[in-house]
Amino acid sequence: MRELGNAAMLQRAHGSCGSAAPQFGKAWPFRHPELKNPARLCLAIGGAASNSTAVRRKAIGFPHWRAAKPLLRSATLLQKPAMLCSASVLLLLCLALSLSPTISAQQIGEPTRQHGVSLPRGVYAIRNAHIVTVNGPDIDNGTIIIRDGKIDAVGATVNAPAGAQTIDASGLWVYPGMIDAGTSMGLVEVGQGANGTVDTTEVGDLNPNAKAIVAINPHSAHIAVTRVDGVTTAVSLPLGGLISGQAAIINLVGTSPQEMSVVSNAALVINYPRAGGGGGGGGFFTPEQPPNLTEAIAQANRQLDQIRKMLRDAEAYGRAQDAYARDKTLPRADQNVLLETLVPYVRGERPVIFRADRETDIRSAIKFAEELKLKPIILGGDDAGKIASFLKSKNVPVILTGILDLPSREDDFYDALYENASKLHQAGARFCISSGDSGANVRNLPFYAGMAAAFGLPKAEALKAVTLYPAEIMNVADRLGSIETGKMANIVITDGDLLETRTHVRRLFIDGREVPLTSRHTDLNDAFKNRR
Amino acid sequence: MMKRSFIHLLTCSLIAGFILPETLAQNRASSPDILIRNATVLTVTRGTLPNADVLIRNGKIAGVGKNLNAGNARVIDASGKYVMPGIVDCHSHSMLDAINEGSLSVTSMTRTNDALNPNDVDLYRALAGGVTTLNLLHGSANAIGGQNTVVKIKYGRPVEEFFFPGALPGIKFALGENPKRSNSNIQAGQQRRYPATRMGVEEVIREAFTRARDYKRAWDEYRAAVSRRDQNLVPPRRDLQLEPLVEVMEGKRYVHAHCYRADEILMLISLANEFGFKIRTFQHTLEGYKVAKEIAQHGAGASIFADNWAYKIEAYDAIPYNAAIMTRAGVNVSINSDSDERARRLNIEAAKAMRYGDLSEEEALKLVTWNPAWQLGIQNRAGSIEVGKDADLAIWTGHPLSVYSRVETTLVDGEVFFDRQQDLARRAEMLKERAQLEQAEPNRPPAAGASPATPRRRRPTNHDDDVWEGDQP
Amino acid sequence: MPAIRLRILAALLATVCAFIPPPNFVNAQRNAVDTYAITNARVVTVSGAAIDRGTVVLRDGLIAAVGANLTPPSDARIIDGTGLTVYPGLIDSSTTLGIPQPSPTPTPTPGGGGGGGQFRPQTSAFSAPNSTQPPGLQPEVMAEDFIKPGGEQIEAARNAGITTVLTSPRQGIWMGQSALINLAGDTSQQMIVRSPVALHVGFAPLRTGTFPNSLLGVFASLRQMLLDAQRYREAQQTYERSPRGMRRPSQDRSLAALLPVLDGTMPVVLYADREREITRALDLAQEFKLKAIIAGGLEADKLANRLSTNKVPVLLSLNFPRRTTAALPEADPEPMRILRERVEAPKTAAKLIAARVPFAFQTGALTNMADFSANLLRATENGLSRDDALRALTIWPAQILGVADRLGTIEVGKIANLTITRGDLFERNSRIAHVFIDGRPIDLRPETTGGPARAATGTWTLNVNLGSGDIAVTLVLQQEGERLRGSIQGGLGSAEIANASAGPSDEVRFTVPATFEGQTAEATFNGRITGNEMQGTVNVVGRAPGSFTGIKADAPAQPVASPTPPGDFRTASDAHAELSGTWTINLLAGLQTFPGTLNLDQNGSSLSGLLQSPFGTTKLNNGSIDANGFHFIAREPVAGRVVEMAIDGQVEGNEIRGTVRSEIGFARFTGTRQKMKGM
Repeated sequence: MRELGNAAMLQRAHGSCGSAAPQFGKAWPFRHPELKNPARLCLAIGGAASNSTAVRRKAIGFPHWRAAKPLLRSATLLQKPAMLCSASVLLLLCLALSLSPTISAQQIGEPTRQHGVSLPRGVYAIRNAHIVTVNGPDIDNGTIIIRDGKIDAVGATVNAPAGAQTIDASGLWVYPGMIDAGTSMGLVEVGQGANGTVDTTEVGDLNPNAKAIVAINPHSAHIAVTRVDGVTTAVSLPLGGLISGQAAIINLVGTSPQEMSVVSNAALVINYPRAGGGGGGGGFFTPEQPPNLTEAIAQANRQLDQIRKMLRDAEAYGRAQDAYARDKTLPRADQNVLLETLVPYVRGERPVIFRADRETDIRSAIKFAEELKLKPIILGGDDAGKIASFLKSKNVPVILTGILDLPSREDDFYDALYENASKLHQAGARFCISSGDSGANVRNLPFYAGMAAAFGLPKAEALKAVTLYPAEIMNVADRLGSIETGKMANIVITDGDLLETRTHVRRLFIDGREVPLTSRHTDLNDAFKNRR
Repeated sequence: MMKRSFIHLLTCSLIAGFILPETLAQNRASSPDILIRNATVLTVTRGTLPNADVLIRNGKIAGVGKNLNAGNARVIDASGKYVMPGIVDCHSHSMLDAINEGSLSVTSMTRTNDALNPNDVDLYRALAGGVTTLNLLHGSANAIGGQNTVVKIKYGRPVEEFFFPGALPGIKFALGENPKRSNSNIQAGQQRRYPATRMGVEEVIREAFTRARDYKRAWDEYRAAVSRRDQNLVPPRRDLQLEPLVEVMEGKRYVHAHCYRADEILMLISLANEFGFKIRTFQHTLEGYKVAKEIAQHGAGASIFADNWAYKIEAYDAIPYNAAIMTRAGVNVSINSDSDERARRLNIEAAKAMRYGDLSEEEALKLVTWNPAWQLGIQNRAGSIEVGKDADLAIWTGHPLSVYSRVETTLVDGEVFFDRQQDLARRAEMLKERAQLEQAEPNRPPAAGASPATPRRRRPTNHDDDVWEGDQP
Repeated sequence: MPAIRLRILAALLATVCAFIPPPNFVNAQRNAVDTYAITNARVVTVSGAAIDRGTVVLRDGLIAAVGANLTPPSDARIIDGTGLTVYPGLIDSSTTLGIPQPSPTPTPTPGGGGGGGQFRPQTSAFSAPNSTQPPGLQPEVMAEDFIKPGGEQIEAARNAGITTVLTSPRQGIWMGQSALINLAGDTSQQMIVRSPVALHVGFAPLRTGTFPNSLLGVFASLRQMLLDAQRYREAQQTYERSPRGMRRPSQDRSLAALLPVLDGTMPVVLYADREREITRALDLAQEFKLKAIIAGGLEADKLANRLSTNKVPVLLSLNFPRRTTAALPEADPEPMRILRERVEAPKTAAKLIAARVPFAFQTGALTNMADFSANLLRATENGLSRDDALRALTIWPAQILGVADRLGTIEVGKIANLTITRGDLFERNSRIAHVFIDGRPIDLRPETTGGPARAATGTWTLNVNLGSGDIAVTLVLQQEGERLRGSIQGGLGSAEIANASAGPSDEVRFTVPATFEGQTAEATFNGRITGNEMQGTVNVVGRAPGSFTGIKADAPAQPVASPTPPGDFRTASDAHAELSGTWTINLLAGLQTFPGTLNLDQNGSSLSGLLQSPFGTTKLNNGSIDANGFHFIAREPVAGRVVEMAIDGQVEGNEIRGTVRSEIGFARFTGTRQKMKGM
């Protein structure tokens, strides 16, 4: 019924959506497909335009009706962005008339069975395995005991406890699960033409309270597809505007975001305003592309001021709240959820992820972080290799998402990005390797690391770059990233080198639960491979 | 000595992005014999030969086997290295100054070889990934798109040296979301283009071939009248839109049809049967595994992504087992890039067919060599290492299906067009040349000059599925 | 004030032309007899050897006579060409002069990506009535239907010595048919020398959202229309042979306009710069056996062999690419491809000569005509001989455009288009002295009013403050568009400036090795010009930043930068002692003699002065010095037109002698130097 209504509206207003739609996202074909999608704006502000009955009908059925709130907030918060936003509100109101049909993961194609629903934790003994611990030397013919979701014991001479399910892994390799620190896992099902399945990008420029953990769809087909290739953990990042929101670290199994969560609000994500114009991945609501670089820099600086002001406000807010807590005679400041959520970040208690690729952007992002005493992580880092020693001296880690991108300048050497990781390694800078993909292709993570290894990064480092290093950078190395007693039992059993393309995953454990090696893809494979 | 200097020149100019005419002349004069010594040779069609040599003479493979006599050939010691046929990418939009003529739903009159850029740096980057042949396709904005061009990547050479000799001409078709414009922005003042449904796409193709059939009749009647010596004859109008479709029906032109869903694949098969032509390749073919049997029966090949999926609705049922299922159903399957980026690592894409669906090494290698060669009708010259075939080869540091391997040298027609060592050796000079050029008077920034353009964030790689409109920026 | 000037000049001229029946000079132009003789000039005929002291007689718009020992006809107005060089009028082989330009294309938003900037309406192309084709695909469009006489651009071209241009619309794919026009005449009909000359073709998509919307579609539509035209011809012929019993083929102006192109009677001018663009254009021409001419030709040398074998001429653009953007650290480095291209561009002409590719120069829509001469010079500095450079501006374009029988050389019977310079055309400090078009003199805009692009040109007296009191510096600048040359003398030593450039709003920037307090350090000057004043900052390595102010002296300076041979510099400074001073002179006009004084003030190689006579005072500008002596051009606005007087003289010790010439007569003067005080 609703679908029909939408379809009708789509017919009526088709032209207007296209015509008013800003251009964006061409540059990231597969990594963030939703950026190509003007129509999703129409949907996202359904609530903002709720004086239109047609739109209200649509708004009711969907969570997006809350979308307008950040606008109002940022409006009350800062005057300048308020102008910006109200401008975009107008844009949105006109877009709002053209709604495209909304499809959630479950609605696309034949419904397929759900994978990995409430799996039991058990006691397992993996025996005769070649164990790649990552943090220490490999153990040949070793044993791993899994209990209560943790690695209970690991070693050459470990006895299986009574009642443990024994897994004979002779001839097989055991690795810690891989971690991709640069995804939007669970926030996107189908980027193009299914806007209802895209939840990466909030309305407005400043959305610190957009929390990935809230919107991650545990039943997204991407999750099973990704884990069965050995990626057991992902950092899921919101994308839009300037302050995109907060990233979650999730294990890739579970029937609720909470079940999946390793750290619910692990980092603040900022699209560092760049000379390239606009914010980073998202940035629909920044003014349209500046005509030239001078304009772009001016715009970037204006945007930076917005961010700076909000972070400063948060810092002051935090102090005021503390002061009041100590001394009730002080006037009580009202709670402000938006600033509240920023306090741990402006106090350097949690990291801030800056999306930045170009040398100048990386440098100034780090300068900005120093100015505001933030704990920065660089995401992207295409030029990081050029300033490796600088990054080392600042001890700022980089999540490399561009290993398999084309070098951005035509005179760049053909292997400029292949070599990026190796350069950082040689300089002793901290880094990890990510697919930078929104979800569907995160399973290719090992091949990103493999390519880096083909161009100078030692194999052992390449492995660490997708296991231990992301864990360290995201401050979860106490739980993830290697095979050590007491760590979370995210374990992959393979028939070969974890990073090799031809290798198969044979058994999979996440959070101490054995996960079946099935996914939407294996289902479709099973369904059709014997069709005659 | 002579050769050495040529190689140097060649590599310099390759990296510099152009080749001096003298160099060309010199090269043609003395296209040197080359002996690749003591490599593991992956012939693709004749198995894997350990510690074998490959002898190259006059741009052709003159010998394959152990301890070949070098004669006066320049010897490349490939001990511990692997030699495989140059990779054939059956779906590329590289080196095109324009990709889509998006205005009409039938643009068969357009030709990609009107828009070639032999200096596109991405060609060099593809060579560095072991690719030697590209199928340059029109975009997918139209139910019937433009004519393709098959090229050897002779990077930096005059464009006429690129054309692959004897490759049968082809034409791009497109089904599904792109030709019906589901995901493209209609610009202000722009008409919503017909068709907007898969029904309309079928109708557009049917209508075009119906016109083409009448067009052919008109010419047949005219020729008959001429032979009857009828007077005052005026020939029918030559229609560049319909001529290629007539060639398709006469089997003189391959159809490369961009498609996703099973239903549209079957639609085109039945349409082709109705008009009596064969589809040479289905491109992308993401749901090909659902109708592998029908594709095999029609005799079409399938040129696909290894594992790309979910970037739009019609790609949601794509699975990485596609290659394996279709291969086992008897379909000639190739894995393409449709992306200047992905083109650089098709070896890894091929290996994915071993990961998903357990194809053999040889089957996986075929996905990027012999199979695409067949799909382009050049299997007698490319796609495998056999005596008499063109010496389009790549030398790898390890097995090309390993993620840890890298290309050392790429040869096209027996000439080195990429060599990593030479590339590394040239880099210092490159930077020096830049410094000098920047000092030259016309390159100095004027006081109070205009503000530069805003830099690109990241480089676009994929053309086709962006429903690319018109020329590149 | 004008009234006074008028009186003064009237008197002066009256004496100057006393020996010929004095016409009423105010109406001189209206009563003008169309016969002129340029005497004692160096005549570069291009057709033959140059004549060192020759005479060219123009009568009734044609060249009536040319030779060494000619007596000018008695009715001719004599122009003493001493110190002048006469060339055939320069031809610009590809312009849009006289054709109204539509509004420029809106640029696409950057970063929009493939889908983004693509859909934007192109500047509306010209359209012909009742065409079967959309604007932009109408080969029947004729430039001659749109040409308007006069205007700033035409005047600018004439001031640069250009007398004849090929002009055509530049929008669309079939852009239209060009006309060759002289840059003088009250109506477009008077201007036209030949029309149509060629059909012009561009390869930019129409960008209207309709076919052809891409380069692919452009070639498809070009091919289809040529094929249609072939069939159109066949159908028409068949019908004309026997109309009875045959259905009448419908008329089609667009296709009809392509017929002369198909049978090769009309060439096509194909706009192509890059190697691949030229290749595509040549392929198309070959496919349909078109008579091709390449316009632009930036990389034509890369296809030199093919061009010479197929005898395809190139209309080579003198609009050499150069960097226009400022340096910003955030900007991406420019691609080497671009950097190389800019360095290679001036070498193309010489390479085409070497490969025997016929070519002619075009200004390539240069906005600043100063760049025309400057770039011409760069071509000659990059291997092109001056003779060939001249041919590429005269006889070669005449040949390529099919008018060698009437233009391009100084030969009897040819159209009397002449470009007359003081100094060699290819010398940096040469100036256009006279331009004749169709046998009539053209009023040249005085260089001193050359607009903001020359604001910096002149001799500046600077006060430089580097924290230790004012330092007096004389700065001589020569500006050509963005380019700036010059030197300093005085308190900071003598040196030539470097890294110099001038901005559109009269900013100047340069560095110079400054010597003071016994040290030499690099000083960077950044200044802004307002009228005759300049002020700005000076930064010297290792010192606190300083400032400077400056005032421009009256006389615009001649260039003294590196490109000028040091010889000139020496002449100048040697001559210094000889010229500066006050001279008592007698003006001998016909039978009468008038007393007067001549004050000369020389500074470097620049010369200014004052000519006083019973009739008043005339300020002397544009002074220059060379081996022949000194030269002035004095221009006096009279009754709405400028009358030019050329004053040339030589000095020997304390003796001075010379001539005062104008197009209506001349006088001689002799004189002696007044004793200076204390000598």
